Amino acid sequence: MGDMNQPVYFEDVEVGDELPPLRLTLSSEQVFRYALAANMPGGRFKSDEEARTEGLPGQIVPGNMSLALFARLLTEWGEGVRVRRLSATFRGLVRPNVPLVAHAVITEKHASDHGCFIECDLILEDHEGERRVTGTATVLMATRAAP
Amino acid sequence: MEFDRTTFEPITAAEIREYAAACGEVNPAYTGEVDLVAPPTFAVRLRGRHFMPKELHGLGRNGFDAGKDMELGDPIRPGDVLTAVSVVHDVYEKTGRSGTMNFIVFRTTVTNQDEKMVAIIDQRMMFR
Repeated sequence: MGDMNQPVYFEDVEVGDELPPLRLTLSSEQVFRYALAANMPGGRFKSDEEARTEGLPGQIVPGNMSLALFARLLTEWGEGVRVRRLSATFRGLVRPNVPLVAHAVITEKHASDHGCFIECDLILEDHEGERRVTGTATVLMATRAAP
Repeated sequence: MEFDRTTFEPITAAEIREYAAACGEVNPAYTGEVDLVAPPTFAVRLRGRHFMPKELHGLGRNGFDAGKDMELGDPIRPGDVLTAVSVVHDVYEKTGRSGTMNFIVFRTTVTNQDEKMVAIIDQRMMFR
């Protein structure tokens, strides 16, 4: 796990580096709490019973919540990390009450007058190793010259 | 084609903290008492009057959320008055193992009271 209180600098990372993964299990209650906070009160996010009435196998995690987990993965890496672009493709249902792991790997570094950025590939996989959500991100990094 | 333009009530600190807590955020930037800002994905919770053009309402129940692309601008802070403008950004078809799928991309541009961009959100919806 990263340390959001410790700075991470552009100069200290390399293409191919993996960020500390985000490991968690979302409870049914957490999923519905998120759905309400995100103004998504649908039954599919509330309970297995209500989700099944919509033809789903059970309660599912909102895609927006998976996006939020990707954002946490990046911002919990360290201080000075600013997400500028975040993209996610929902490839399969994400379920509550199973272990999940979110991964990020740096695929590119680039610097310009607008700042120093990294590009990352993102994966959210479940306990069976199935890649339920994939994505990419562009992150503005602090530099040692101008933290 | 613009199908929705909604200006929301000022964002409150309570909304920001609740969204952060619901995401499992512990970063004091999103949960604290000083210089509170919204977590990066906060703008996805904005709901305009229309999710899609009226002409497409019949598709609504058969759609799946295929993904999202967000570009983030100025941070969202308590007191911000946000305006979200939604358009149909793209329509395309893909054929895969399970057959032909139709995709519609709705783009929502969110600006604050100073007309600064805070988020551009592309919502990809898949319909069979």
